[in-house]
Amino acid sequence: MGTIVTIDVYTPAGEASDDIRRQLGAARGILQQADAVFSTWKPESPLSRLRRGEITVAQAPAEVREVLANCACARELSGGWFDPWAMPGGVDPTGYVKGWAAQRAADALRASEATGAIVNAAGDIASFGALAPGTPFRVGIADPAARRRLAAVVCLTGAIATSGTYERGAHLIDPRSGQPSAAVASASVTGPDLGLADALATAIAVAGVPALDLIAGISGYAALIIGHDGVQQWTAGFPLAPDSAR
Amino acid sequence: MRRAPIVVTATAAGLAGVLAFHTSPQSVKISSADEGNSQPGPVSPSITPSAPAASQSSKPASRPSPTSKPKPKPTSPRATSPAATTRTVDGPTVNYSYGTLSVAVTVTGSKIVKVGIASLNDDGNPRSQSIDQSAIPVLESEAVQAQSGSIQSVSGASYTSAGFRTSLQAALRTLGIS
Repeated sequence: MGTIVTIDVYTPAGEASDDIRRQLGAARGILQQADAVFSTWKPESPLSRLRRGEITVAQAPAEVREVLANCACARELSGGWFDPWAMPGGVDPTGYVKGWAAQRAADALRASEATGAIVNAAGDIASFGALAPGTPFRVGIADPAARRRLAAVVCLTGAIATSGTYERGAHLIDPRSGQPSAAVASASVTGPDLGLADALATAIAVAGVPALDLIAGISGYAALIIGHDGVQQWTAGFPLAPDSAR
Repeated sequence: MRRAPIVVTATAAGLAGVLAFHTSPQSVKISSADEGNSQPGPVSPSITPSAPAASQSSKPASRPSPTSKPKPKPTSPRATSPAATTRTVDGPTVNYSYGTLSVAVTVTGSKIVKVGIASLNDDGNPRSQSIDQSAIPVLESEAVQAQSGSIQSVSGASYTSAGFRTSLQAALRTLGIS
């Protein structure tokens, strides 16, 4: 399964300067490299070789060690509900890597003249800046039940990840049972880092409402879940837009 | 200060590697067409809120597609609102991750009122169909809502967005809107 990343860059002149083109190239390189290293579909990717036991973590590229260390942190923060080591078929940090890579791509653009950017990796978004001073980006959350609609709108500062089974079927695994799980229809997490937000969204989608308290305890992060009955619940600080449908 | 976005579609795969890398990043300059607009600027990455057709601003003249319908000739310029004209055009068929697609866009005047899929071939792969069924309605919604200026992006499913945008942009060019 592949992922398309779209990058929207906001500039004062509405044009891509050489500086921005250069940083866009860097962002693309980051995404391409992440795919080359972490693809579970490419048999020769370092992650695939690690999963087959052909190399050890110590022999893997530095970014593999970094990602696995971050995943261990995310596992702890999520109370074990996000656990790449409990996936069938061997360690699988996929639930973290996509957000991690998109965040790094956004960070590359942050170093440019751009006044803002939105990096959308298949529905998980890393951003910086704003539409205009004092006017934050507004991002919709797709309605899992009626996907022509938005279930909510957030005023985004930083990142938002949304996890749910409606995108790709039952792909979320409960690390405690090893079985597919979908406690809620959709779970979104906002925060400064998309990698962690992605992991936490995956955790809540599996764990359900009780995991909201976990997120509430993580500084800078907030969550909104949509139940199979369409009912929305969110933690304090979730940046719903004032006009968001509820 | 007016801020206008450029959009670049890139592909990558945090998850897996069925995607081709687009060797030529697609950059779209968005012109600030409507000088009277007090909004912060065009907010849609690839769908430009445009001036009414009567004021084409600095944009080059559109190249009507051979398949587009002849436009009704205004008998009295500016006597009637361009918003009175509703047109629909299909974008070109483009490749995306799971096959090919083309979009159909309907505009009234220069405002997008509907975006849909004109053709879709995902080779019948169940996974592709599952993704298409979830992603495409989101993209349709995003396209219409983005032009309204209400949102800049959607968190959820957007798997086919690069191909979708490519076809949509071409369709809008055909209509002389983008």
